[in-house]
Amino acid sequence: MASTSKAISNSAHQQGQTCIAFSRDGKIAYTGGLDTLVRIWHTDQGEDQEPEAAYEADEGITAVAAAEGCWLSGGHDSDVRKYIPGKAQFNGLVMSAAGASIRCLAIDPSGKRVAVASDELSVKIVDLDEITNVVVLEGGHRKRIRKTTWHPSGTILTTSSSDGTIVAWNISDTGAKVENVIDGVIPEVVDPESPEFMHDCSAVWHPSGQYFFAASRTHEIVAISRSTWTKTSSLSDPNTVGVTTALALSANGVYLASACNQEILIWSVQTKRVLWKHPGTPNAFTIQIAFSPTENLLAWTDTEGVLSRWRDAIPAESPDPVRQTAAGSAQGTTTKRKPTPPLWGEEPEADAEGGDPYGDDWIIDDLGDGMEDEPEGAKAIRSGDGFVKEMVSITKAQPAFQPGSTPMENKKRYLAYNMVGVIEVTDQDTHHIVNVEFHDRSTRKGYHFTDHFKYDLGSLGERGALFACPPELDHPAQVIYKPYGTWSTQGDWTYALPKGQRVLGIAAGGERPMRSLRDPSSSGGDIQGQGNIVIATSSGDLTFLSGSGMERIVLGVEGEYVTMAAAEEYVLVVHRPGATTIDGSQSLVATLISFEDFQVLQEKPLPIPKGHTLRWIGTTDEGAPAIYDSAGYIHLMIHHRRPNRAAWARLMDTNLLERKQGKDESYWPVGLSQDTFMCLILKGRQEYPGFPRPLIQELPVRLPFRNQDPVDSPIEERIARERIQINLARDALGDELTSSDIDKREVELDKQLIKLIQVACKTDKAPRVIELVKRLHFPNSIAAASQLAGFYRLIGLQEKIEAIKLWREQNATPAEEAREARQGFAYDDAPLARPKPFQNFNPPPKVDRPSLTRSAGIVEQTEFTASSVAIRAGRSLAPQASASRSMSPEGKRKRDDNDDDLSSNTFDVEVKRRAVGESNAVPSPKPSTCIAIQPGRAYISIIYCRQPIFSEDWARSQEKSFRKKTRAQQTYPKERELF
Amino acid sequence: MALPQSLRTSVTPLELELIASEQLVEIVPLITMEKTAFISGAYGPLRPPAKCRIPLWMATNLKLKKKCHIVPPEWLSVEFLQERLTRETSRPEFSKLPFRFAEIAKVILDVASDDVQNADKIKSLLKDLREARQAKSRDGLQKLDHSELSLPNLCSMEINEIRPFFIQSMGILTQLVREPSAE
Repeated sequence: MASTSKAISNSAHQQGQTCIAFSRDGKIAYTGGLDTLVRIWHTDQGEDQEPEAAYEADEGITAVAAAEGCWLSGGHDSDVRKYIPGKAQFNGLVMSAAGASIRCLAIDPSGKRVAVASDELSVKIVDLDEITNVVVLEGGHRKRIRKTTWHPSGTILTTSSSDGTIVAWNISDTGAKVENVIDGVIPEVVDPESPEFMHDCSAVWHPSGQYFFAASRTHEIVAISRSTWTKTSSLSDPNTVGVTTALALSANGVYLASACNQEILIWSVQTKRVLWKHPGTPNAFTIQIAFSPTENLLAWTDTEGVLSRWRDAIPAESPDPVRQTAAGSAQGTTTKRKPTPPLWGEEPEADAEGGDPYGDDWIIDDLGDGMEDEPEGAKAIRSGDGFVKEMVSITKAQPAFQPGSTPMENKKRYLAYNMVGVIEVTDQDTHHIVNVEFHDRSTRKGYHFTDHFKYDLGSLGERGALFACPPELDHPAQVIYKPYGTWSTQGDWTYALPKGQRVLGIAAGGERPMRSLRDPSSSGGDIQGQGNIVIATSSGDLTFLSGSGMERIVLGVEGEYVTMAAAEEYVLVVHRPGATTIDGSQSLVATLISFEDFQVLQEKPLPIPKGHTLRWIGTTDEGAPAIYDSAGYIHLMIHHRRPNRAAWARLMDTNLLERKQGKDESYWPVGLSQDTFMCLILKGRQEYPGFPRPLIQELPVRLPFRNQDPVDSPIEERIARERIQINLARDALGDELTSSDIDKREVELDKQLIKLIQVACKTDKAPRVIELVKRLHFPNSIAAASQLAGFYRLIGLQEKIEAIKLWREQNATPAEEAREARQGFAYDDAPLARPKPFQNFNPPPKVDRPSLTRSAGIVEQTEFTASSVAIRAGRSLAPQASASRSMSPEGKRKRDDNDDDLSSNTFDVEVKRRAVGESNAVPSPKPSTCIAIQPGRAYISIIYCRQPIFSEDWARSQEKSFRKKTRAQQTYPKERELF
Repeated sequence: MALPQSLRTSVTPLELELIASEQLVEIVPLITMEKTAFISGAYGPLRPPAKCRIPLWMATNLKLKKKCHIVPPEWLSVEFLQERLTRETSRPEFSKLPFRFAEIAKVILDVASDDVQNADKIKSLLKDLREARQAKSRDGLQKLDHSELSLPNLCSMEINEIRPFFIQSMGILTQLVREPSAE
């Protein structure tokens, strides 16, 4: 009876409870013990292997389980931990049982869920992919649960309790309910410290799903039918008397292994007889047995902490324990969910590659290819004929976010991190601690406070810190503003939203303080105001408030709000006007709204590549809007002060950074100044900065130019970048267009250009030299260029440069040209100048609109027309209007010249003027004048209609010719004489 | 080195520290300051949170007033020093380190140990480095002859340490060498 092969033993753990589980591919065995370790054994290695160990547990391990994508361990420290398959690499906590020891872990046949039995009276079924998805099975047990197992279909869970009952739960999609309670089969063990408690009392399901085995109180192994929940047969051997301490079924259900009296017995399920025996560890009893799912291998662990592996436990001449055979299928003839034989061991290599020979078996694929995995975010839509399969991917819309904030991690988060400072939040469960710190401590004073509202949005402006909290039971959503300038909290104000509305985003803007805000004197910082506040709410609006809490305006958002950032004089709002596009574009639009009068200065779509999202928006130190996207590009909005003339300049491509090469790092923007990109560097896959606060790194801004010339390219790039900055600075200047600072920068720029000119002269590239010379700003620089050409003996070139110089001296300088161009713009849209408080005392500029006065229809009246009553009343005004016009010398109009011949005759002119002057004298549908001509008398009646019968010009020409005629005949009575 | 007072006539480490204080270090200022002219040059402007390079003495001064964070130089990190230490112990020659590393490291660790990551580890690494290098400079004694001694990459503090003894020894060696030729 005894088998010929010998088991190999390894001392794995300290004495006491141990557990074992095979990985689904059978290559690895996981054992756990009281020494808090889980060891990972490779089944193909012998006694001398040094297993890897997982050290994460704080107390003894009581259960291990393995699925395809992970393995789990649980123990007395009440945590269920998840690890990377085959490795001791901790991959996250699955659940925690609040102080109760974990007793058993059972992963369902599909490998998607784990049933966790603990000292609590409930069993929890946790979804391994989404661990917050927990089903709690309550009400079935009155004592702690010792073991739990799954029916092969995954729809029934059996739990064995310490009060001696086995409960079968029906698990469906909708919930779980007790299907049956089987009492009196397994022994009752109340004391968890007793050795009996460690005995295996689980219900071991046969792969056919028709019945399960359990070790009974009467020292038998009983089979209990699934359909009737009653005992159908029992296995007992007269030669072995004693309690069965462990049970296991072979993968195909042909053999049953049990442990009894320090012996391992292998039974035939069909004949119910002991076939082979193997001695176990002396003076110890075996606690858990496991058959390898893919090999002829039996392994067990015992109370001495020894792992024994019995290779070829089933002799070669007997039916295989893995492969489905006639013997096995005889047991499972009635099975509906028969295992698929090839997966069980015909081709072990294929199994190994397939990874999971077990899990998929129980999924009945009755949809054909309907079980094929679909890529995330994609939906397969099949058209009617069944041949064309169209993939429609839906781009996930980027949710609203606050630039510079991070999610809560380890009870800490940043609400804002920008160039002004940092708002850090620490979660203290009942409340938050908010810590506001500034980079520049001389201007503003950092502070911290206890926050009972749990603010989840924050914005640090130049003039104050703004917070917003979500609505909770007892309070609505509200916004609190804390200006920096004041000593105490008296400057704070709160703005509450109506019930049911939430705050989506907030932004605090304001002028940069010229003096310290800590200065308490009367000329201190806060005299310049407390900035501007913008709040985006869930009711689809942007609410503008002044720094002291005065509501200014509520603007509607044309779509879905995404994010915003406030600068000194405008707010940059990003919204999504419609939906995302099918091909992955977020279709976001940035709008620049000025604080002064809520003008929309720019409305531009964001240049974010498809499939990427917006990561950050903000303003540079110079006040230009900038964005950063997940593709790693920084874009700067140039010409943003010229209404509707802005463009997105790609300022930097962080993927091209030298430091990034060969490294896995990303950048988390904080700010942008002229030449540096201030960011936090995140290593690896990190998405947000952590704590303690990392140092701000400065990366040089480089335009992503592609020329690789070692000498010229860097200078060209620098000139282009400087040009952008000078233009931005010039736009902000207002009318004078130049300042000593800009002049200085232009001189620097000229120096760089001269360098390029020198290189071009050296290589004799005359066209390039001429182009570069034209870009020079100052006559002196052109003279220098001319000298350079002379130095390189390029006489022809020198003459040309001299010609350019002469031409430049005679014509306008570039600055003057820019001014002229600017004045050209000024007619329709004046650029937004930086505000200069208390400086502009000039009267408002005169608006000259010669092209806007348009002639209106001519209304002529006679005493016969019905509508002349209203006209007559207004007639008295006409001569006055005429007089006032003739007084102003510029008021002379073209038409007057044309009608010169009529100037003596005031009839036409006056009527027309009145029509212009008093618009209400003419009813709103345009009158088209119809002239009826009778010899000797003229009747002009007015016909009102929507479409003029004759065009006005035609009518006018008719009228004119008619008048000439009448004047010649001298029969036309003067208009005044009519009255 | 334990030497009699007469042989220790050299610059004191404190004086070396003073000299090293002219070296520029990077700081993250916490205050705003315009560009300011000093005898050694004009430094600034300080615009938080932008970094700025100022002399060590000024950084020390600001740090003690809690007006800046000192950004430790690249070589004052565990990885760099560890790498240099393994090189120091595995190769015969001195490894390349900044000339005044000992002084600068001491000043930074003294005043701004909270700005340095793993300050304790760095301290022990610096101590190990010093011991390894001291052993090498002692070995240099064997190569000592009357005219020259080449120990490349020796740093200011170490030169200062061996200077009095070595110079005197070289003087004696010179006499010893010269005498036979005089005969």
